[in-house]
Amino acid sequence: MSFSAVTSLLQTLSTSDEVPLMSTTTWTRRHIISLADFTTEEYDTVLRTAASFREVLSRRTKKVPTLQGQVVANLFFEPSTRTRSSFELAAKRLSADTLNFTPGSSSLTKGETILDTAKTYLAMGTDLMVIRHREAGVPQAIATEMDRLNSNVGVLNAGDGQHEHPSQALLDLFTICSALDPDYPSFSLLEGKKVAIVGDILHSRVARSNIWSLTASGAEVHLAGPPTLLPKLFEQYTASRDRQPPTSHSPSLIPHPYPGKLFLHWDLDPALEDADFVMTLRLQKERMTQHLLPSLREYHQQFGVTSDRLKLCKPNVKVLHPGPTNRGVEISSELMDDPKISLIPQQVTSGVAVRMALLYLMGSGKA
Amino acid sequence: MAELFRQVRLLDPVSDSDRVADVLVADGMIQQVEAQIADLLEDVEICDRPNLILAPGLVDLYSHSGEPGYESRETLDSLMQSALAGGFTRLALLPDTDPAIDNPAGVERMRSLLRHAGPIPQVDFWGALTTQVKGEQMTELAELAAAGAIGFADGRPLQNWALVRRLLEYCQPLGKPIAFSCCDRQLAGNGVVREGLESMQLGLPGSPAIAETIALAALLECVETISTPVHIMRVSTARSVELIRAAKSRGLPITASTTWMHLLLNTSDVQSYDPSLRLEPPLGNSPDQAALVQGLEEGVLDAIAIDHTPYTYEEKTVSFAEAPPGAIGLELALPLLWQKFVETGNWEGRSLWRYLSTNPALCLGQTPANLQPGQVAELTLFDPQHRWQITPQALKSLSTNTPWLGQEVTGRILRTYPGR
Repeated sequence: MSFSAVTSLLQTLSTSDEVPLMSTTTWTRRHIISLADFTTEEYDTVLRTAASFREVLSRRTKKVPTLQGQVVANLFFEPSTRTRSSFELAAKRLSADTLNFTPGSSSLTKGETILDTAKTYLAMGTDLMVIRHREAGVPQAIATEMDRLNSNVGVLNAGDGQHEHPSQALLDLFTICSALDPDYPSFSLLEGKKVAIVGDILHSRVARSNIWSLTASGAEVHLAGPPTLLPKLFEQYTASRDRQPPTSHSPSLIPHPYPGKLFLHWDLDPALEDADFVMTLRLQKERMTQHLLPSLREYHQQFGVTSDRLKLCKPNVKVLHPGPTNRGVEISSELMDDPKISLIPQQVTSGVAVRMALLYLMGSGKA
Repeated sequence: MAELFRQVRLLDPVSDSDRVADVLVADGMIQQVEAQIADLLEDVEICDRPNLILAPGLVDLYSHSGEPGYESRETLDSLMQSALAGGFTRLALLPDTDPAIDNPAGVERMRSLLRHAGPIPQVDFWGALTTQVKGEQMTELAELAAAGAIGFADGRPLQNWALVRRLLEYCQPLGKPIAFSCCDRQLAGNGVVREGLESMQLGLPGSPAIAETIALAALLECVETISTPVHIMRVSTARSVELIRAAKSRGLPITASTTWMHLLLNTSDVQSYDPSLRLEPPLGNSPDQAALVQGLEEGVLDAIAIDHTPYTYEEKTVSFAEAPPGAIGLELALPLLWQKFVETGNWEGRSLWRYLSTNPALCLGQTPANLQPGQVAELTLFDPQHRWQITPQALKSLSTNTPWLGQEVTGRILRTYPGR
């Protein structure tokens, strides 16, 4: 983000009594496809910007003119209600014009390729593309094509296959940090905290993005699930990033850039023990027919998160779920509705503020 | 017309030689190979550009034709032009055209489609093992053999071991090569990349290495019992190389090939999600790639196949997982392999030629071309220094499904002499 962009945001927000939590950090990332190479500074910028927008959303007039005149296209090749609504509302709160693409009403059935679709929206003057697809790699392919065409369109991955769902992980991060300190939800708050991610890790794009962000924060991340849904290789998931040596002249003086640790459990209890946060994941019923699980009943028995099992965690443990939930499968119904434990409503609310922050950071250079 | 190549580098795996000499070619024959040939005839075209390589034409073990059935991907004409542009003088085409080459009329149809004015490579056909390459019903194999099929292959993995057993028994007296591609479809599931850390980071469904090795181990058991020689196509995992090494050391009558793409790339290259990198079998992980290279060097694997598989832009411009597997390669394999293995000093030039020319011919039961005087001039002239850009215009193939599209490459075939 340029300094002038920050200034304009500050001006935009100056009708408020409170000074927003903004800094002059430079935002240079054009596309957000994966959190694998996100930096600590970027995480912090997203959190601080999201906090400012959360404040905007608490006002009577919940709209700012920040992205006025810009076009945000939601290209949802895979049907989605929650994420699409959240992005659409975020764009509208920023006063952007929004275009919604859904495959049912599209030319895809008429032989148009995904790149043709993206190029059509580019030709319409789209500034930001929010892309979801049921297969991994489509947002990356479209971003590559946009760069090849020398456009300055930014591409935001809103979930691609089993690959990543960066905005979900960032809203999870914001929700967790806000639970730790509502006024200053900073990245460093997570250092040393224990976060358990429970369930079908193998097929989860939410888990993949969360592994990158949470380990980067210095949290201890404990994955739990049956071996068929949590292959042993996940232990090395972040190794390629964490092995990279610091680029300084005196590496010994620089602390390890990513101090977080990743653990794997084929048993729920050790993952829950003294956990500060528990993230549950949606279990697709089709896993039963793929020889991955014997039954929903046994899955719930082994890995279902219930109030009883949460007794192993820290006393003020909080539970998250990216939604939509299978009540009684990965999380018990009564737990989901317990406002003292469940952060699920906060996740949905945070979603709009975090997505406003992402669209703002990506779009501010274009105004 | 006669042509004299002055001080050209001759690579001949058959005589295991790599030397500089003058070569006189006339009337489609190699007339003379001498340290120096004095100018003798007035009607001789002289080529005296420095640093050129003259070597036997390349031989492709298996590739796909678009025609008949999928002419928008590749016609036989564009395939022939592509092969010549890539240095190939012999091709063996897989039977999965539409209609499939699964009866003698199919072989005859392909031959008549190829009746062509200009010089083209020698084209042979793998006869289908099963009707419509569906993996269910045995074709009339003896009839196909009599019609001149070079050997038998479906080009896709069979799943029925009773059928495999009977095919091996039935084919024994026919004396033709039989090629199998090994994959257990149930284990492969919906996998589109080789399972491993990278597949998990990419979020793409992984196909485990055992999908290949369990089928391979089963095939080797069949060969051990029945003793019919087989060729193993598209070897792609480190464990497969081990199994083949052990089988060969027990004396099993097998030959094996991997593809040029599996030697050059591995799963980490899929980070771009380029659908041209979606192959079947999928690219190996890095240890697989290393084992394939070593397997060739040690003679466990005999040959490099091109497995040229054209698809149209529309067919390939989809998500990685939805893309049909395969990539083109006839025009790109030699320059890219030369860059990666010969320019770097890992392989001798003649070793690469052995994997791409001599050994594939032997796997097909053919006599390999060589550079001795008196032989048919089945040659390719290669300039390893020539830089060019891989663009749709530069390619003879109608399809452009290759991850190298748009990139610059060093090394180009200047001319191919099909020798017929």
